[in-house]
Amino acid sequence: MAMVGLTIDGNKVKVPEGTTILEAAKSANIRIPTLCYLPEVQAIGACRVCLVEIDGNRSLQASCVFPATEGLVVHTNSEKVQQARKFTVELLLSAHPQECLTCARNLKCELQRLAEEMGIREVRFPGAKPEPRIDESTTSIRRDSSKCILCRRCVTVCQEIQQVGALSAQERGFDTYIGPAFGDDLGETACALCGQCINVCPVGALTEKDYTQEVWKAIHDPDKIVVAQDAPAVRAALGEEFGLPPGTLVTGKMLEALRRLGFDIVFDTNFAADLTIIEEGNELLKRVKDGGTLPMITSCSPGWIKFIEHFYPQLLPHLSTCKSPHQMLGALTKTYYAQKAGVDPAKMVTVSIMPCTAKKFECNRPEMRDSGFQDVDYVLTTRELARMIKTAGIDFVNLPDGKYDDPLGEYTGAATIFGATGGVMEAALRTAYEVATGKKLENVDFAAVRGLEGVKEAAVAVDGLGEVRVALAHGLGNAKKLMDRLASGKANYHFIEVMACPGGCVAGGGQPMPVNNEVRRLRAQALYQEDKKLKYRKSHENPSITKIYQEFLKEPLGEKSHHLLHTKYTKRGKYKEH
Amino acid sequence: MEIWRSHVLVCAGAGCVSSGCREVRDALVQGIMEFGLQGEVKVIETGCIGSCDLGPIAVVYPEGVFYQKLKAEDARVITEEHLLKGRVVERLLYAEPATTKLIPTFKEIDFFKLQEKIVLRNCGLIDPMNIEEYISREGYESLAQALSRMTPQEVVDVVQRSGLRGRGGAGFPTGTKWRFTQQAQGSPKYVICNADEGDPGAFMDRSVLEGDPHSVIEAMAIAGYAIGSNQGYVYVRAEYPLAIERLSHAIEQARQYKFLGRNIFETAFDFDLEIRIGAGAFVCGEETALMTSIEGKRGEPRPRPPFPAVAGLWKKPTLLNNVETYASIPPIILKGPEWYSQFGTGGSRGTKVFALAGNINNAGLVEIPMGTSLGKLIYDVGGGIKGGKKFKAAQIGGPSGGCIPKEHLNISLDYESVKDVGAIMGSGGLIVMDENTCMVDLARFFMDFIQDESCGKCPPCRIGSKRMLEILQRITQGQGQPGDIDQLIELGERIRESALCGLGQTAPNPILSTLRFFRDEYEEHIKQKHCRAGVCQALFDAPCQNACPADNNAWGYITLISEGKFKEAIAVIKERNPFPATMGRICFHPCEVKCRREQVESPVAICALKRFAADYDLESNDPHIPEVAPKKSEKVAVVGAGPAGLSAAYFLGLKGYPITIFEALPVAGGMMTVGIPEYRLPRKVLQDEIDDILKLGVELKLNSPVTDVEALKTQGYRAVFVATGAHKGLKLGLAGERLKGVLDGVSFLRDVNLGKPVKVGERVAVIGGGNVAIDAARTALRLGAKEVQIFYRRLREDMPAADWEIAEAENEGVKIHYLVAPAQMWGGNGGVKRMECRRMVLSDFDKSGRKRPVPITGSEFEIDVDTVIAAIGQVPDTGSFKGNGFKFDSSGAFIVNPESLATRSPGVFAGGDSVRGPASAVEAIADGQKVAMSIDKLLGGDGSLPNAYRDRLKEMKVSYDEEAYAEERSRVPLPEAPLSDRYHNFKEVEMGYTTRFAVEEAKRCLHCYRQE
Repeated sequence: MAMVGLTIDGNKVKVPEGTTILEAAKSANIRIPTLCYLPEVQAIGACRVCLVEIDGNRSLQASCVFPATEGLVVHTNSEKVQQARKFTVELLLSAHPQECLTCARNLKCELQRLAEEMGIREVRFPGAKPEPRIDESTTSIRRDSSKCILCRRCVTVCQEIQQVGALSAQERGFDTYIGPAFGDDLGETACALCGQCINVCPVGALTEKDYTQEVWKAIHDPDKIVVAQDAPAVRAALGEEFGLPPGTLVTGKMLEALRRLGFDIVFDTNFAADLTIIEEGNELLKRVKDGGTLPMITSCSPGWIKFIEHFYPQLLPHLSTCKSPHQMLGALTKTYYAQKAGVDPAKMVTVSIMPCTAKKFECNRPEMRDSGFQDVDYVLTTRELARMIKTAGIDFVNLPDGKYDDPLGEYTGAATIFGATGGVMEAALRTAYEVATGKKLENVDFAAVRGLEGVKEAAVAVDGLGEVRVALAHGLGNAKKLMDRLASGKANYHFIEVMACPGGCVAGGGQPMPVNNEVRRLRAQALYQEDKKLKYRKSHENPSITKIYQEFLKEPLGEKSHHLLHTKYTKRGKYKEH
Repeated sequence: MEIWRSHVLVCAGAGCVSSGCREVRDALVQGIMEFGLQGEVKVIETGCIGSCDLGPIAVVYPEGVFYQKLKAEDARVITEEHLLKGRVVERLLYAEPATTKLIPTFKEIDFFKLQEKIVLRNCGLIDPMNIEEYISREGYESLAQALSRMTPQEVVDVVQRSGLRGRGGAGFPTGTKWRFTQQAQGSPKYVICNADEGDPGAFMDRSVLEGDPHSVIEAMAIAGYAIGSNQGYVYVRAEYPLAIERLSHAIEQARQYKFLGRNIFETAFDFDLEIRIGAGAFVCGEETALMTSIEGKRGEPRPRPPFPAVAGLWKKPTLLNNVETYASIPPIILKGPEWYSQFGTGGSRGTKVFALAGNINNAGLVEIPMGTSLGKLIYDVGGGIKGGKKFKAAQIGGPSGGCIPKEHLNISLDYESVKDVGAIMGSGGLIVMDENTCMVDLARFFMDFIQDESCGKCPPCRIGSKRMLEILQRITQGQGQPGDIDQLIELGERIRESALCGLGQTAPNPILSTLRFFRDEYEEHIKQKHCRAGVCQALFDAPCQNACPADNNAWGYITLISEGKFKEAIAVIKERNPFPATMGRICFHPCEVKCRREQVESPVAICALKRFAADYDLESNDPHIPEVAPKKSEKVAVVGAGPAGLSAAYFLGLKGYPITIFEALPVAGGMMTVGIPEYRLPRKVLQDEIDDILKLGVELKLNSPVTDVEALKTQGYRAVFVATGAHKGLKLGLAGERLKGVLDGVSFLRDVNLGKPVKVGERVAVIGGGNVAIDAARTALRLGAKEVQIFYRRLREDMPAADWEIAEAENEGVKIHYLVAPAQMWGGNGGVKRMECRRMVLSDFDKSGRKRPVPITGSEFEIDVDTVIAAIGQVPDTGSFKGNGFKFDSSGAFIVNPESLATRSPGVFAGGDSVRGPASAVEAIADGQKVAMSIDKLLGGDGSLPNAYRDRLKEMKVSYDEEAYAEERSRVPLPEAPLSDRYHNFKEVEMGYTTRFAVEEAKRCLHCYRQE
């Protein structure tokens, strides 16, 4: 690639053609502050924080978009630049509520950090603030436009990466706000509630709906038996909230923390993940044998489920009827476990710790009450759990390792990789191979389905079945590509895995921030490492699974399974009638 | 081809359509049928002719007779008189605003005569719905020539060599842009026409699309050929339905004639056009936002680079020009770049279309060569300012542009010169503003527009423009704070350098530009809470009071008069004015100019009503005297018993201070006595009012000139007010000035008024155009002159004298010669005999915004005279005050602190004409008020003027039917002495209202001070 030479703050820099000034400066260890810029998501030059002075240019230029060209002379820290950046941040502050102390993003806010870095001690241009629009219309996402700085990251993630398009700029001038068209609330749109917008929001304008107070109340109620379960992706990320590097696996500390918080019982969603493989695997084999609708598509990502219900309702028969693992576990907790332990399910409060905001919606779906109660009462994100741990004053980093409770706590390596894109597929293939062929699978690692490529395909030769063709997509934009092919009859697969969030659950909308591809990779790696260390690595090997079929479920796809572990879907429209 | 005897072209631009041209056209067609002329006369709807404020318009060819402001019923008259009988209908012709001269034909009207139409070459001449008419005017010949005889490279070269620059605003060289796009890698390429004309008041693009759509189609096809593009888009705002309709029709016709589509002129070149309709966002006029909008997204700008030439529409190389730029292309191709570049200036070639709007007589569309001066555009093409008002500034370049004040009327309208004064050419909107425009409010208006239209993408524009607006709103609402101007400048400059797109970067322009030229108006709003233009409502109760230098509560006393409460009316007047009867006669009443009633028909006769109340009071034998505070001990001296000195004495007297006035002359009253002839102000009236002031314990020492102010201080005077006026007449500086019979105006009037025996000859020449000149002329007439002539070097509208005074002088027989100046005088021992004069011509503009008179060589002529009165101005005679620590300007006037009128000498103040130079009595009264309050504060008082009535008056209800009086109803005229009564005497000319008429007139007040 052709190289260009330029001068940044007196340093000669050589970079490949097409590099921006921001990247070129970074390569010379010159840090230019940014706000709307987010690598892998957007570079639009909107916020004017990364301005630099370029000799020969009348006005200041946004370094995140300005291409480095031969001979440019750039100043990233001149008086003019410093003043302009400070001015811009001051303006943003002048239109901002400045309620930092009570904001969910206090100490983790990019605007706050910029103000601190620039040494802003007063806002010289006070004036009107935008009209606050609080949107609490969904179970998952809270929007407070008064805190929004209109950086557009959420818009880009929603429109271009997820391709849902629920958010865009509305109105003009000072009245501009980010939100659904026509002044609608998010609950009136085709929002998948994936929460990716929250993960990119630099301030507190987008947050998860916080249910920690409800959970605390249940914990503090002596009459309630509070049961926690946690998804595999949580253990790979929770440590980041306490300063541990991304990719640190904190399963044991998390379990100990949950006990110390006062949860009475702690189960593992992974148990249900293994169960899902059994149920889903059998469902797939049945569809293949009986000529059912193929390809079959996974159903464990609730953001994905909501998305397909809105955008591809005609493809709903392709979805596996399996509930997502935590919903299966919720139903079993209030039936199988309640019976076994002799407790009144009415007194049980089930709490799922999830990397996901869409699960807050899922647990409230009317279909998810097969135990006779709401199967899962509350869903907390990884971030909410961290908040509770901090509230309780627990020294997380120095906790000893805790353990899961029986009988719904035992899990295999196949279950734990559910948290990364390709994990469900890999787990399914491990079991399907052995069930279909009756042979032992020696190499359980299916490298073809791992990694961050948007759409992945693989074919596995299985004796007796022939070639099993599979495809995977993570991120709804990628899912859309795959669904368009499916809808037009060009997708000749048996099985498709879709995860709503890019990278899968490890980068879910409820995970610690920041999230980027490097973080996604490290978190997934942690799960694959746990998989390697575990005694059992195939779901059908999980002894507790065998036991629950013997004691309670009897057989896969049987009557009890059908009742407790499977569900149905709803067609939804794309737009509200106006 | 059919042959017609006459064509009647009816302008059907959107302006004329909305003023009813379609009815006129229908009536014309009907009339033609009725008179059986349908085989001889053809009626054609054309595009905009340009003079929009005159619409509906019809031009009858071949004579080119221009009929304006037509109504349907006029059409029949034109048909019968003109088309049938061949007689021009005079009453429908255009009258030149300055001269009221009727001008029959199109080509003789300055508005059209001075234009050079290249872009608008077909507008108003052809039927835009008929492609044949376009073809008959060399239409599509350029395209043919480009396709058949030129390479794309040659086309680009021609455009480059013509010097054409982008007419959308920034003025980027068009040829360079074409070259970049031609050379850009990538396919396909696109050609876009920006017709999203959004500047308030600008409509040149609309007019071209409505009046000559094929010129744009042809140019875009040429551009497509030049850069290698087969697809174009015209982005038109949805607010232009007529333009869209005519352009769509024209595209369809062009396709039928194979000027668009495949294989154009069988050259294997394909090109087609589509219209994209914008949804009305101002920002979509910005090229990147426009392209984003065409792509189907929210129209928001994106950063450049990459420029459209490299990555534009759908990230493909794109050529983007505006309508006016494209419309210039076909003639350039056909007639050559040299032909085009002969028009204009070095860096700005060709012509520019301007949309004249605002307070200008000939509002509409004009096309002039680049480099024409602003003054020429406004006064010669535009016909000057509406209603004879004074030009204040022109806003050029729309909301992103700037203002050009009267000091710069000579500016050459080209890209570079306009930029030099902090404005931009922009798309060519030119809003002309007169003295009634508040520049702060104007800035607020534009900022309001821009912040509303900001796309919201970047904080400097979204929030910064809002902050600027908030400050401006605050200032215009009387809440301005010190530091606001600095904040505006900082905000403006930072937004300029940091906003994402052109809209944001130029958003502060109107503010920075008005601050550059009118900072004093901002400061006045902030510090004095005063809006001199009378626009910012929150700063005053009513415009009449706001316009009065002495803050007379006109609305208050007029409302009282309307209710018959005359004594209360005089009480209100006397809170601010010790000379109501005098001022009721001689004031130049700036209040009436601002009276809102003028918008109905004519202003309330405020001045005459004041006189009525004052005369009523004087005749009552019990004149009203305001409440006087208990006596104080601090003595105050006033030097000069003119209006300023007497007023200061009055207001200080009301506060209880003992005052002594020292007057050099043997009479009190200053210029009111020795400057104003008795026929305008009877001496008794003034004397009565002076006597009332003296009753407040004011001691008057006549024949007592003061030169040593320090001495007064040692005599125990705690404060001194110097108000010695401006009594020294300026000399002509011409040969013969020392001859007997050559007088100066002020001395002449003074001698007459002091009763000295003054003789004038039979043939009197007065030089000058101010009130002194008029008074001198009328006085000379009364002293027995046979012939009195005034010589003035400019035009009547430039005369500083009050219009009604000039009219009275002419009425009495004074002859006024305009554009004439004296050169020298001859005579002998007997005195002056002859005067040589020269005729003048007006050339460029001076700093006052008036055209500069220059002598015409060889125009000398002589006249017989025996008296010459030079009334060309007067200056303060302050020579004797030097050495007291005072500072004087070059004319000899005191330099004082404008807030307090304090001089450099502690405890000494100065005001009136001795500070201002020759000014008005009401301004002298204002200075008297100001000094009285400054002295009161200095001596420990609160420095407040009496104000007992305002709040009550604001709530006052009237007993008559206000709505009935709000209907159109003319001003009650003042009785005047007949002409026959005026010769050889100084009897008062103007009489006062009777009680009944005064009440009737007062009821005309619209009570606009009730700001619901």
